[in-house]
Amino acid sequence: MIELAPTHKYGLSLPTPVMPAAGVFGYGDVYRDLLEEGVLGALVTNPISLRPRNVAQGQRILTRGEQVLLHTGLPNAGAKAILRQYGKYWERSPVPVIPHLVATTPAETSKAAVLLSAARGVGGIELGLAENVSEDKAVELLHAAQDSGLPLIVQVPFSRVDALAPRLVEAGADALTLTAPPRAVLPLPDAPEDKAESGTRLMRGRLYGPAVFPLLLNVLARFAAPGANQLHVPIIACGGVASPADALTCISLGAAAVQVDVLVWRTPGVLREIAAAFKAL
Amino acid sequence: MKQQTATFRFALPSPPHWAVRLDVAQPPRAGQYVLAECGGPLREALFPADVDADGFTALTPRGHPITRLLPGASVDLLGPLGNGFRLDRVQRLLLIAEADKLSVLRPLLNAAPAVTLVVEGPTRARMPAPDSLPPAVELLLVTLDGSVGYLGPLESQEPAPAGQERIGPLLAELIAWTEWLCLACRRERYPALAGLVRQARLQPTAHFAQALVHTEMPCGVGACDVCRIPTRHGEKHVCTDGPVFDLLEIGNE
Ligand code: FES
Repeated sequence: MIELAPTHKYGLSLPTPVMPAAGVFGYGDVYRDLLEEGVLGALVTNPISLRPRNVAQGQRILTRGEQVLLHTGLPNAGAKAILRQYGKYWERSPVPVIPHLVATTPAETSKAAVLLSAARGVGGIELGLAENVSEDKAVELLHAAQDSGLPLIVQVPFSRVDALAPRLVEAGADALTLTAPPRAVLPLPDAPEDKAESGTRLMRGRLYGPAVFPLLLNVLARFAAPGANQLHVPIIACGGVASPADALTCISLGAAAVQVDVLVWRTPGVLREIAAAFKAL
Repeated sequence: MKQQTATFRFALPSPPHWAVRLDVAQPPRAGQYVLAECGGPLREALFPADVDADGFTALTPRGHPITRLLPGASVDLLGPLGNGFRLDRVQRLLLIAEADKLSVLRPLLNAAPAVTLVVEGPTRARMPAPDSLPPAVELLLVTLDGSVGYLGPLESQEPAPAGQERIGPLLAELIAWTEWLCLACRRERYPALAGLVRQARLQPTAHFAQALVHTEMPCGVGACDVCRIPTRHGEKHVCTDGPVFDLLEIGNE
């Protein structure tokens, strides 16, 4: 068992330290035919906001080599509708469900966190912050999400770890997901060069793929590695983890658990392989 | 959803595409798809252009990663996925496609005793070769430059210049004549095409007009939200709720 909220009154124990990253696994059982129940340590859901959000317009996904750029706008049906649709499944889930809550305003964040926490099966909440959130606002949002009373994990924006991570821990985060995907820009494929340079045919989004993994290891080496851990809360490693060996490297650098992102779509079985590697330790 | 292993048989030029043959125990039906692992960061969606009991043929663009496999290679597939075309004891079938999307309708060319196929493309050179179609299929061509057949676009209400003709009046007759209508066009065309259906048929039954939506589908299972589209009943996933939708459901934006 892995404990992700050792100082929280309820704690958040996972049978194995592997889980999908927010945004790659839906809200429940879409992979039921490919992954047996109980392979995961926890189910981290797709983003959930208090109000429904529509999908982004225009191009939403772009690949370049092995890298994937994604911009969906975090579409979701809103906390109430998602609870109606998936609450029963969460209740039966053999592993803790961790809804990924999109931080909007403190009032909405609090309301959504309280709603989600009422569902049986929910073991904790992962709070997703906007890349440009101020430190004070991040703390305010964290306090709002703590209204759920459940263990709170905060997913820290990639470019803001230095500024935000210590503040969030000080403010009471039970664990941190390091990190949210880096923001990136790619030219759209059929863009003439001159247009790409003028910025009119570019796609902005979240970057996934193997190039992110060394960046993740750098963050872990600085913030989680034994002897360097300035944060003193469990760290969940997220970004480009592609194999059991990658996952074990994260653990050796001080991570308590790992999240697997878009690789799940190509190779859902990678979650099983990583879980098996942890079991064999 | 299944995960199955297919055997890659061949990839042959079939201008302007490449024809790729996969043998697999459970091939996708018309309008369904599989997600094939081809070595890239994401799986590739393959729609059948021809299906039989042993597998299917897909038409892919030139340079598609699957065309680089060697005959006999194993291909990991997710699927069949999604909802395909649903036709029930059909006698008269109307198919409408943009030329570069025609391949997904090809499995339906023999689905009824009377099939009329309307293909719209930019110019004559992009039209399907008549000998690539079953002889019984009635083929009507629409070109945007008027180089062959009717002058496009399909839904145009503008009067045609002298010496040319629009397909509008005939299309209305065909929509009134057919029992089912299947379409493969860009999604932004569907509202106007839905308008044509509403004009030509007073109360079309549910799924009378079935439209295949093309979009990126990285996961195929409703996990990633990349493929969401607006419909009359809120946003839906193309990968699991489609890719074939009731035209009147999605043609209302
Ligand atoms: S392809 Fe991922 S949700 Fe449809």
